[in-house]
Amino acid sequence: MNAVDILLWVVVPYVSLAIFVVGHYWRYKYDKFGWTTRSSQLYERRLLRWGSPLFHFGILFVLVGHVMGLGIPKSWTEAVGLSEGAYHALAIGVGAIAGIGTLVGLAILIYRRRTVGPVFSATTRNDKLMYLVLTLTILFGMSNTVLGAVGHEGVDYRDTVSPWFRSIFYFNPQPELMTEAGLGFQLHALSALVLFAIWPFTRLVHVFSAPLGYFTRPYIVYRSRDRQLGNRPTPRGWDRVGGGRR
Amino acid sequence: MTVTRQDGADAPERNTGFDSGLSEALVKTSRYFRNGEVSADLRSLHQIGGRDADSFYRDRWSHDKVVRSTHGVNCTGSCSWKVYVKDGIITWEAQQTDYPSTGADRPEYEPRGCPRGAAFSWYTYSPTRVRYPYVRGSLLQMYREARQRLGDPVLAWADIVDDPEKARRYKSQRGKGGLIRASWDEATEMIAAAHVHTIKKYGPDRIAGFSPIPAMSMVSHAAGARFMSLIGAPMLSFYDWYADLPVASPQVFGDQTDVPESGDWWDASYLILWGSNVPVTRTPDAHWMTEARYRGQKVVVMSPDYSDATKFADDWLAPHPGTDGALAMAMGHVVLREFFVDRQVPRFTEYVKRYSDLPFLLTLTPRGDGYVPGKFLTAADLGDVAEGAEFKTVLVDSATGEPHVPNGSLGFRFGESGKGRWNLDLGEVDPLLSLYEGAAETVTVDLARFDTPRGEGAVMRRGVPVRRIGKHLVTTVYDLLLAQFGVGRAGLPGEWPTGLDDASQPYTPAWQEQFTGVPAAAAARIGREFAQNADESGGRSMIIMGAGTNHWFHSDTIYRAFLTLTTLTGCQGVNGGGWAHYVGQEKCRPVTGWMTLASALDWARPPRQMIQTAYWYLHTDQWRYDQTTLDGFASPLGEGRFDGRTPADVLAQSARMGWMPSYPTFNRNPLDLADEAAAAGKQPAEHVLDGLRDGSLRFAAEDPDAPENFPRVLTIWRANLLGSSAKGNEYFLKHLLGADNAVRADEAPPQARPKDLVWWNEAPTGKLDLLLALDFRMTSTTIYSDITLPAATWYEKHDLNTTDMHPYVHSFNPAIAPPWETRTDFDAFGTIARQFSRLAATHLGVRKDLMALPLLHDTPDELANPRGVVRDWKAGECDPVPGKTMPKFVVQERDYGAIAQKWSALGPLVEDLGLQVKGVTTKPDKEVEYLRHKNGVMRDGVAAGRPALVRDVHWCETILALSGTTNGRLATQGFRFAEERTGTQMADLAAEHEGKLITFSDTQARPTPVITSPEWSGSEHGGRRYSPFTINVERLKPWHTLTGRMHFFLDHDWMTEAGENLPVFRPPLDMHTLFGEPHVGDTGELGITVRYLTPHNKWSIHSEYQDNLFMLSLSRGGQTIWMSTQDAAKVGVRDNDWIEAVNRNGVVVARAIVSSRMPEGTVYMHHAQDRLIDVPLTETSGKRGGIHNSLTRLFLKPTHLIGGYAQLSFAFNYLGPTGNQRDEVTVIRRRNQEVTY
Repeated sequence: MNAVDILLWVVVPYVSLAIFVVGHYWRYKYDKFGWTTRSSQLYERRLLRWGSPLFHFGILFVLVGHVMGLGIPKSWTEAVGLSEGAYHALAIGVGAIAGIGTLVGLAILIYRRRTVGPVFSATTRNDKLMYLVLTLTILFGMSNTVLGAVGHEGVDYRDTVSPWFRSIFYFNPQPELMTEAGLGFQLHALSALVLFAIWPFTRLVHVFSAPLGYFTRPYIVYRSRDRQLGNRPTPRGWDRVGGGRR
Repeated sequence: MTVTRQDGADAPERNTGFDSGLSEALVKTSRYFRNGEVSADLRSLHQIGGRDADSFYRDRWSHDKVVRSTHGVNCTGSCSWKVYVKDGIITWEAQQTDYPSTGADRPEYEPRGCPRGAAFSWYTYSPTRVRYPYVRGSLLQMYREARQRLGDPVLAWADIVDDPEKARRYKSQRGKGGLIRASWDEATEMIAAAHVHTIKKYGPDRIAGFSPIPAMSMVSHAAGARFMSLIGAPMLSFYDWYADLPVASPQVFGDQTDVPESGDWWDASYLILWGSNVPVTRTPDAHWMTEARYRGQKVVVMSPDYSDATKFADDWLAPHPGTDGALAMAMGHVVLREFFVDRQVPRFTEYVKRYSDLPFLLTLTPRGDGYVPGKFLTAADLGDVAEGAEFKTVLVDSATGEPHVPNGSLGFRFGESGKGRWNLDLGEVDPLLSLYEGAAETVTVDLARFDTPRGEGAVMRRGVPVRRIGKHLVTTVYDLLLAQFGVGRAGLPGEWPTGLDDASQPYTPAWQEQFTGVPAAAAARIGREFAQNADESGGRSMIIMGAGTNHWFHSDTIYRAFLTLTTLTGCQGVNGGGWAHYVGQEKCRPVTGWMTLASALDWARPPRQMIQTAYWYLHTDQWRYDQTTLDGFASPLGEGRFDGRTPADVLAQSARMGWMPSYPTFNRNPLDLADEAAAAGKQPAEHVLDGLRDGSLRFAAEDPDAPENFPRVLTIWRANLLGSSAKGNEYFLKHLLGADNAVRADEAPPQARPKDLVWWNEAPTGKLDLLLALDFRMTSTTIYSDITLPAATWYEKHDLNTTDMHPYVHSFNPAIAPPWETRTDFDAFGTIARQFSRLAATHLGVRKDLMALPLLHDTPDELANPRGVVRDWKAGECDPVPGKTMPKFVVQERDYGAIAQKWSALGPLVEDLGLQVKGVTTKPDKEVEYLRHKNGVMRDGVAAGRPALVRDVHWCETILALSGTTNGRLATQGFRFAEERTGTQMADLAAEHEGKLITFSDTQARPTPVITSPEWSGSEHGGRRYSPFTINVERLKPWHTLTGRMHFFLDHDWMTEAGENLPVFRPPLDMHTLFGEPHVGDTGELGITVRYLTPHNKWSIHSEYQDNLFMLSLSRGGQTIWMSTQDAAKVGVRDNDWIEAVNRNGVVVARAIVSSRMPEGTVYMHHAQDRLIDVPLTETSGKRGGIHNSLTRLFLKPTHLIGGYAQLSFAFNYLGPTGNQRDEVTVIRRRNQEVTY
């Protein structure tokens, strides 16, 4: 293990995750009105109708896969009787479908972004960088999945990448695990870390403001004023006529 | 969308309104986990609090203060605005709503405002804002070097401009950028040095100031004008220059212009919008027109295109551009035929007998085997030799059948004998309108007509009843008018139309159809309706007339045809009736106070004032490009007075006869002339006459290309000459500035050159030494200027605003202090005056200035030329008599070191001589005392003890205190003065407000209604809506004309020569005959030839707002030309294509807007689209494309130069040649779509 490994698998992850956390706090604090997807639905709908759900549902399944793969130790799955083979078959099967959906969706979205004039005009340099990093990350991840599927002799990421990932959060980093993970996983992890680092400064922040509440909320919301006089907090020494609460 | 079945049997599940049961289940479940209350139907959630997001929107519209102001120089809206300021920054504006009421039972001023005004605050911090003083780099370098070397600013300036090489170096750079920052001290020192040097070397009349429309910001205008007046430099007129002055108004009314306020449109029951696009050009007032329609008003629109106004029209007539006169003449024909001859309408007959010149007698002069109209019969012709007899016109008393000299004509206006008799009271006399009944004799008269293919004159012969009075054969104006309009009566000789449907004879409805394209029946019907409505409503038929009919070479004839309609039907001087001319007519209501300050009448009188059209016609050398003489202009019945002569010849004649002002006046410095006269012990006039006689002195107008006669210094503020009003823009660039230009015209061939002017083989270029502009935004004018000073905007200063359309006065106030290094016009000219005085004290000292002044309207000068007979002393037709057949010569002392002191204090002539306006004198002694206390008193210097004018608010208070419209005491006093002359009662009109003085703080509080005053002809008495001439009609005060009545007939020699004694149809100028341009409709490889009109813009007010981001976004942005679909198809132009418009005057490159709104054969380039936004290089010249006025040029109409005779006498902005530009044509083609900048 050398300094490069420590840099790549200890320093970079902490820096990246720190930027991710602090960056979101900063963005939320100073750029609330910029916290948006900058939707381009007004400019184009036909391609978006296919590309967007494909991509978004795909990436959600990919997320679930990552939660399982990275978050759940191998011992746990084996404890519930899921064999190594079955786990991989499941992971590769579902993962491939989700990944292909994601990639096709992304391809449609990028094609649309480049060829539809108004959409392209509304694309910033920030967006282009984000697309590049996101696409690379997905491609690296997908290639790992595909290589795993074709039975390529490789490492079991559940013995290397996953424990390393979890070790970051225990504040007991184990960079040596990543040195054994193979180039594919290393590249995937690195590009993901870059993605996390730029995340708060891109439109990706919309992940944290997906309107999930809409599923369960009545569609009309009335908000009466706070229990105070007028629009501002009741100043000291002022009371409602009659003294009591309304 | 769902239909609920009555029985409810199969009511579908989604009656709940949810997409599915799943949604419903989710909401049902979640309600137990939420704050707040979910309604029973599951559709709404009620929560308390959580409204923090509101605060953003509350903050967005919160502000620290609101300041009242308005938009200054070029809009007739007079809307008062709230300017919002937040954190010291102007954020936005919104309309004020606190206008004075128009009275019960009528619509109020609200709503007012327009998108342009609402976009103004963008300018404050915009990229186009001028933030610092700028000087042309090459000039500044040379100046700094010379200043260092010579140690004196004036010598340094002389060192540069007197060296041809140095002068060329900076003049050739004009318009090409290279402006660099300078300090105010340095820039104003240069300006002062230029003025001092020019006065010293050439004389003060080689300097000029141009700032238009004082009404819209009086102090800003007066600040510079006062400086110019004090140093003896002429201010250039603007009303005539803009071609907004309807020359018909002085001709017919003897009044510059007076019109109804827009609130009076409500009173009209028949409204014609004639060449006026009210929703676009009078946006905040248009609502009255739409509201009056709900009251039953009929709206008729006369417009060649489907204009914005047209959609409000109950009837739309579309005469071909420039032929409106023919339509109006035909309507007049119908009115005369059906309401005067076939039957008589008592109201009309009574009206024209009392208020028009129709009953007056005209002499007829034999010519060939017939007669031609001569002059008005006067008391002098009846043997009267008393005072003014030559100006007392005569009518026939119908009771006695004898000639009668009624009160009210010009002969009663001046002198002791006329006191109490200058009125329209006819006593027992009933004037005889026509000599037809029982006429013993008839003769045929020859009348000029111009309804010919190229507009050249022809003759028609018609009969009139006549009488002999003494040795004179006379008829009435009415009888002659019937002959002119072709309204025949049994037994009269001559050629007459057989009926309304006779197209062969002027001026029937059928005849007009061949020129206008308007169906004869429609023309007859509208004419009939107009008169019928006037009869039934008591004169409430109104014509709103606009630039579409007023910007033509022959617009005075078009307007006289219009005024025939409103006068015959008794609509003038009636609320809701008469003419409503809204073309740049910005009424400065407190005119006396403004004029006193602007012209510095409190220190010296009179000032130099110049007719701007003539000024530029000569000094931009446009006269050198006239290809023909005036022969084709004249009537075939004339005496050849214009034969072989050019407009420049006529102009020189007008100047030397004292008819029109002319500056520079002589080819010598007027200061030196005064010194020489004094040295020789001669009277100034004597000295001038001697010089003219021995040839040592010449009028500059006869040699405008001699270097000693160039204009040397020009200051422009509140205006954009080179991006907007400069008709013949490319000639300005070439000859005045010496800059790059696209003039393509040929100079006159030898036989077409002026006879009385010196022809220099090489036309001079770059005449002007200093072009100085003050502006808050970059325009073509600032780009071409040698020095540009950064001005405050209208939201950054104190000032006053009034207009013609709104009878109130309101204020400008600074929302913020002028930002960066900007200064108000007031401060800027104060600084210039102080710098000037400092340098002038040593270089100039106290000098005497010999001024040549024209014969003035509303003064006894009007009596200089009895009967309007032209006598040219130079031709030996009379003696040169100053003030009679020549200009008046006056010497004024100018203490050049004390200019700044005088500028900033109110001088003593206010109370010593009183203030005169339109022949009424007031004596504001108490007001001066009041101003001493209000403004403070100057402690020392030449103005010690005088009221201070050291702050802009002092100027505002002074203007308000010295004018009748804002000071009831002076209004009443003025009326009492006028009553002495008229003998009729008028003072009661103002007496209700005798104790009222409007102060500046009143105008800051809210727009304040003005007081009825003798400064104007209408009345606001008792809250009445303003309509012009109501005082004339109701109080029998004469119009300021020869007869004291409204004139159909003008008997001046030159009017006869032009064939325009009476209303007449004259078609647009034929550019093929005059300049060899192709015919309209010609299509060739160079493109299609079209009429080129430049109407007002929807997205800007002149060049203002055209560069405003908001207006650029609302409009197409950049220069555009509107074309008809037919014309576009002929030359393969599609919408938004780049096109080039080319004629001899210049080149324009623009995008085409192809629209079915446009009539075939005509294009519109909305005027004043400046060249600073999106103007590429042209294919034709390789230079940057021009502005709308790059394709136009000036045409002087000789009759506009008449002076020294009754109402045809000069006053500033009252009379002068118009800068008309509508008769032009251009060739348009599709160009290469790849443009470069």
